[in-house]
Amino acid sequence: MSTTTAAPTELAVHQVDARRMGFFTDTTTCIGCKACEVACKQWNDLPSDGAQFETGSYDHTGSLGASTWRHVRFVEMLDPAAGGPGSGHPGDLDLVQWAADGDGEGSGPGAGAGVGGPASTGVLGDNRWLFMSDVCKHCTNAGCLDACPTGALVRTEFETVIVQQDVCNGCGYCVPACPFGVIDRAPTDGRAAKCTLCYDRMEDGLEPACAKSCPTDSIQFGPYEELVDIAQRRVATLHERGETGAYLYGAGDEPGEELAGGLGAFFLLTQPPERYGLPAQAQSPVQENVAPATVAAISAGLLAAAGVALAFVSAAHGQGRAARLRRRRRW
Amino acid sequence: MSGSDVDRRPPLAGAGGRNLESRRLEDPPVPPPRITPEHEPPADPGEREAHWTHDPAVRDTTPAVGTAGQPASWGRAQEGADVALARPEWGDAQWSYLFKGDTVYAPTLPAEGQVPEAARAARAPDEIGTVQGPMIKPAVWTWEIPVYFWTGGIAAGASFVALACDLAGDPRSARVCRAVALGALAPSPALLIMDLGRPARFLNMLRIFKPRSPMNTGAWALSLFGALGSGAVAADLLGAPRAARGLGAANAVVGGYLGSYTGVLLASTAVPLWARSRLFLGPIFVATAAATGAAACRLTLVARGLPVGHPTREALGTVEMGAMAAELGLSLVNERRLGPTGDHLEHGRAGRLFKVAKAAVYGGLALRLVRRRLGPCAHHAASAAYLGAGLCFRWAWIEAGRTSAGDHDQVARMARSEFGESDRVRRLIHRRTRSLHRPRRAARAPRGAARAYAEAVRRTSLFVERIGAELGMCPSGNGGWCSSAAAPIYRLSKRLRFYTPDRSRPYPVGASPCA
Repeated sequence: MSTTTAAPTELAVHQVDARRMGFFTDTTTCIGCKACEVACKQWNDLPSDGAQFETGSYDHTGSLGASTWRHVRFVEMLDPAAGGPGSGHPGDLDLVQWAADGDGEGSGPGAGAGVGGPASTGVLGDNRWLFMSDVCKHCTNAGCLDACPTGALVRTEFETVIVQQDVCNGCGYCVPACPFGVIDRAPTDGRAAKCTLCYDRMEDGLEPACAKSCPTDSIQFGPYEELVDIAQRRVATLHERGETGAYLYGAGDEPGEELAGGLGAFFLLTQPPERYGLPAQAQSPVQENVAPATVAAISAGLLAAAGVALAFVSAAHGQGRAARLRRRRRW
Repeated sequence: MSGSDVDRRPPLAGAGGRNLESRRLEDPPVPPPRITPEHEPPADPGEREAHWTHDPAVRDTTPAVGTAGQPASWGRAQEGADVALARPEWGDAQWSYLFKGDTVYAPTLPAEGQVPEAARAARAPDEIGTVQGPMIKPAVWTWEIPVYFWTGGIAAGASFVALACDLAGDPRSARVCRAVALGALAPSPALLIMDLGRPARFLNMLRIFKPRSPMNTGAWALSLFGALGSGAVAADLLGAPRAARGLGAANAVVGGYLGSYTGVLLASTAVPLWARSRLFLGPIFVATAAATGAAACRLTLVARGLPVGHPTREALGTVEMGAMAAELGLSLVNERRLGPTGDHLEHGRAGRLFKVAKAAVYGGLALRLVRRRLGPCAHHAASAAYLGAGLCFRWAWIEAGRTSAGDHDQVARMARSEFGESDRVRRLIHRRTRSLHRPRRAARAPRGAARAYAEAVRRTSLFVERIGAELGMCPSGNGGWCSSAAAPIYRLSKRLRFYTPDRSRPYPVGASPCA
């Protein structure tokens, strides 16, 4: 069982009566309908990202950002051995060709879609889609919270991480400090924004909009311990049924192996994390680097000041002719 | 959900549910409303979008987290209004548990260690499959930040030089150098404020003291440096040399941090290039600061008529050259150590800037060697070249960080490998395909020792934070100290309406008033 509260390394962010609430996103039941994305945008009144057309993937909503707090990632699993046009890399995929080939055999690209779909038939073979509804992870050791210079990012009584929009001054430091690439600065608004785990709804005892809208309950919301329990049983069940690649990303790890101290929003995945654009290991970059980097920097600063002083003092003392001669010889 | 929608927003004119309710099925269908030309939606899609999504008459678009430029309001429009159908304690969330106990969703109990073992197998180091990015987001900073790194560096270097001049017994030059430090610092706050998404809220940087955030400590260092530097220059002008000397010395101490924290700031991110250079970025930036500061002081002092052969002039020449050489050496060592991660310093815009910077340093060193033949002008050109090189170096580091964050493969690889360890496979490929003198890994401390060291420093830093809490500075849910020193600034910010705490209730519940 992983830690269910913020680790003791986080100072002052664990409140006495805090109760950790979270998301468990089970990718094996996700059908990629993007209802969560729409529900999130509607509830939080987030602006449109504009029409975009991604080449190489059927996923046309890109990635998480300042105005996209839930994002359903499409993972095209292409098996080159099965005769698919791609070499397995999404960039190599010629969707038009793929669709045309599929039509020729009487099956569109959708025929092989989904876990357990009619695989190994037609030209598509084992090609299939995976879907994963990505969201802010609400880390125990949150990089954005550590980096924030104004204290706009805080931990709430639900142990989630939110941006106080009236404090954030848009310095942008949280953006590269997030090891998951979640938080972003809105170019029109100037402030950083990310998932709040529907803080406003939670205060009223309502579940977040995305979890509410999810038709297959791929997104589950609840008290953290309960969710971890369900998730662990789900992994065991899937293993029993032969899906041995199923694992939990961000919960249920042994101490010391957790991702960023344990994720408040964790996932059940069936492929290596990089397939879903997630890092295999993560830690708050600030907690990891700031101390050694500061030690190195300050020692260097002291050395530099000493060097400058030494150069001056020796130049002042070495005004004599002999010293100048010596210096000339050195050159 | 619909019930709370009603609570939050006024019903739309003409679109309320009342009309529908009063109608019965057997009633004849209502003809669609006639659309007069002025009610036609705009022909242009952009205008149509703006009309539908932003026109308050058509749709109430008050964002849940605040309108642009307005404070957040997470309270309800009507205080105490009930949410229809909502049950307390997330009771309605229980309804949507399709998979709860009584289904075949998750009946099996996991074996001991089964779940962590499965995660370990998927996240095991040194095996990496297809990476489907994006992984992390690049920094959003624009040109102001590298320029600030440069001017702040010059200021820090000039404060070192001023202290050294005082120590070497040259108060006249020290005066000038203190002025140079203040002058170089002057544009820095403006540059930083320009880069903010909300420039009017710049004072929020000082509303807390947060040792773990380099940007926060940097903002405090900048303020302190500005105050001490102004004090020193004022003392000089008022003819109080002892006070000026003392303030100048204090300023040099702060300058040591001001010149180096920028490197710490970059290192404390998830960007592979910056994070992997964490022990080198600070020293590199300090060296650049010392070199550019000395060069700026030297040019200023020469313009003010410092004679040839004066020890200060000699020493400044030595300092700028030595610091630039140290910077170059550190950069080269770091580049070799980084391996493929460092490629972003070699290609693209960053690569070009880095090459220009290196060429300027080499040119400066060469000019310095032949200065006896060409006269003092060659040395002045060398100083100018160092100044330019400093700017190019800073710019190249920021630019390379941007491309490094966009390199999904490398981000994934850094996460897979133990921190600081290099990627052997790619290195091998590189070595074979590119050149013979590819970087070789620098000697490293044993992994256990490195980890113990890192843990020790981390604990020390957390201890520092804890002192603040013990001293009664309220811990405010964000790892910072809301110290009494910061309180007046916070109040000023509030009075100037940079900070507008207009909420129906304080949040998070239980946090201190300064959260």
